[in-house]
Amino acid sequence: MPYDDLRSFLDTLEKEGQLLRITDEVLPEPDIAAAANAAGRIGEGAPALWFDRVKGFTDARVAMNVHGSWANHALALGLPKGTSPRQQVEEFARRWDAFPVAPERRADAPWQENSVTGEDVNLFDILPLFRLNDGDGGFYLDKAAVVSRDPEDPDHFGKQNLGTYRMEVIGRDRLAIQPVPVHDIAKHLRIAEERGEDLPVAITLGNDPVIPVVAGMPLAYDQSEYEMAGALRGAPYPIATAPHTGFDVPWGAEVVIEGVIESRVRQIEGPFGEFTGHYSGGRRMPVIRIERVSYRTNPVFESLYLGMPWTECDYLVGPNTSVPLLKQLRAEFPEVRAVNAMYTHGLLVIISTAKRYGGFAKAVGMRAMTTPHGLGYVSQVILVDEDVDPFDLPQVMWAQSAKVNPREDVLILPNLSVVELSPASQPAGVTSKMIIDATTPVAPDVRGNYGTPVKDLPETAEWTERLRTLLANR
Amino acid sequence: MPDQTNDQPNDRTLPAVCPRCEHDALTTVADSPVPGVWQVFQCARCLYMWRSTEPARRTRREAYPAGFRLTAEDIDAAIEVPTVPPLAAR
Ligand SMILES: Cc1cc2nc3c(=O)[nH]c(=O)nc-3n(C[C@H](O)[C@H](O)[C@H](O)COP(=O)(O)O)c2cc1C
Ligand SMILES: [Zn+2]
Repeated sequence: MPYDDLRSFLDTLEKEGQLLRITDEVLPEPDIAAAANAAGRIGEGAPALWFDRVKGFTDARVAMNVHGSWANHALALGLPKGTSPRQQVEEFARRWDAFPVAPERRADAPWQENSVTGEDVNLFDILPLFRLNDGDGGFYLDKAAVVSRDPEDPDHFGKQNLGTYRMEVIGRDRLAIQPVPVHDIAKHLRIAEERGEDLPVAITLGNDPVIPVVAGMPLAYDQSEYEMAGALRGAPYPIATAPHTGFDVPWGAEVVIEGVIESRVRQIEGPFGEFTGHYSGGRRMPVIRIERVSYRTNPVFESLYLGMPWTECDYLVGPNTSVPLLKQLRAEFPEVRAVNAMYTHGLLVIISTAKRYGGFAKAVGMRAMTTPHGLGYVSQVILVDEDVDPFDLPQVMWAQSAKVNPREDVLILPNLSVVELSPASQPAGVTSKMIIDATTPVAPDVRGNYGTPVKDLPETAEWTERLRTLLANR
Repeated sequence: MPDQTNDQPNDRTLPAVCPRCEHDALTTVADSPVPGVWQVFQCARCLYMWRSTEPARRTRREAYPAGFRLTAEDIDAAIEVPTVPPLAAR
């Protein structure tokens, strides 16, 4: 049964032992963020965290770390909580093939229960806002999905974008937003600003567990996140019409914030502790004027801690970055077996591929850098043979140590594009990129002394099972 | 002197200067729903926002880490992301 809202998923997490209620009173800072930070440090299987006794608030309900372990990520996809990361990625890739699944429009969204407009909008009345990291410039909405449309093609359902963009609360009814230029909302904003128009947006907060997965997923410009959500959950995704913008938003959201990005305005923003494990600089960024807020009674405020990996953010953008790259590469190169793009949203990617002929693997690496996501992220690619599991890092290190002849197999490509947030870029937004070809050369690339590889014995699979059973029955 | 950067002083009166940029135009943005527990302040220049109950390292100018401080020059020099495009000719 897919989840239509966050509350029903929190119930499942609780039943599965994956939600921890913090019953002591906590301070909004530094307790909530420190606890969520700690969840990433206690090892495998960390739970989501629930806070409802937050000092100074009367009705705060805060959910953190909802996707913050492989167990929780598996449950978000409706899989058993013990499903391995590799199996989760494979199942994700399998479900992708059902795309597009048409959404289902529903009336009576729970967030229609309450609303405020215009002068009366004050986010502090509705949300228990708090700071995450010491150097953050303020309080952020960092697990919200932002819906916007292409001003030149506003009726195109697929070009309507739903993406995760963190937003700083810079006033009671004002937010600052960071549209990274390679992302879809930046395209929408650019068109609007060239016309001198504001860009309407609908922000949805506290969503069912599939929305954060698709909102942080590098889909093609005209692919609908809602149609992908339908494929991933195996059922049409429930949407509703937001009252002020008319945009399509998740039916089950806790809070829907509507307004506009003010045309051609930039204001100081940040810094913010980012997915790179470093703070963004203080930069001038676009500003949202909030015009209407709709919300469920006693809304749950969902947020996410991010900082030095691994944190919830890394689980959230692991599989959903790996699968689009796999699909986009396979469309042209069916030889590609698996893609592990789980490091810093794909700044480093490991690809396993069969080889068509000598030099082929390096071409696959270059192609990964020219996918839509690759243009802004993929800066280092390690290529491994088809029988190496890119999710098994010791195996990858074996391949790299045994098969790389650095002068021929390490390619450095200067002056390529990358997100401006990449800490190593110089100047910001430009970087050299690297391909490490750790595959076995094939003809006509006849380098090396590979001889015959040692393969696992044909009987090993059977013995693996036998040992497991013997151990289990000891 | 003892390290006071993690103290939680909770000065609910409007401070004199912004902990981050030392500007003196500050406003109160929010009061705790439970009366008298905390307030949220904001600097008009660098937009820094903080709650009175946060540790001194986030609320006191003297304890605010050098690496996070901002000056008027930093704000003026901040780059635009994304840049504002030219207006299209109509
Ligand atoms: C927690 C979180 C915060 C993010 N913040 C931003 C952000 O502020 N700006 C941005 O451009 N991308 C941000 N991203 C990444 C985008 O959501 C992601 O790259 C997505 O694929 C963009 O898709 P789109 O181009 O379809 O909008 C964030 C992702 C996550 C998970
Ligand atoms: Zn300031």
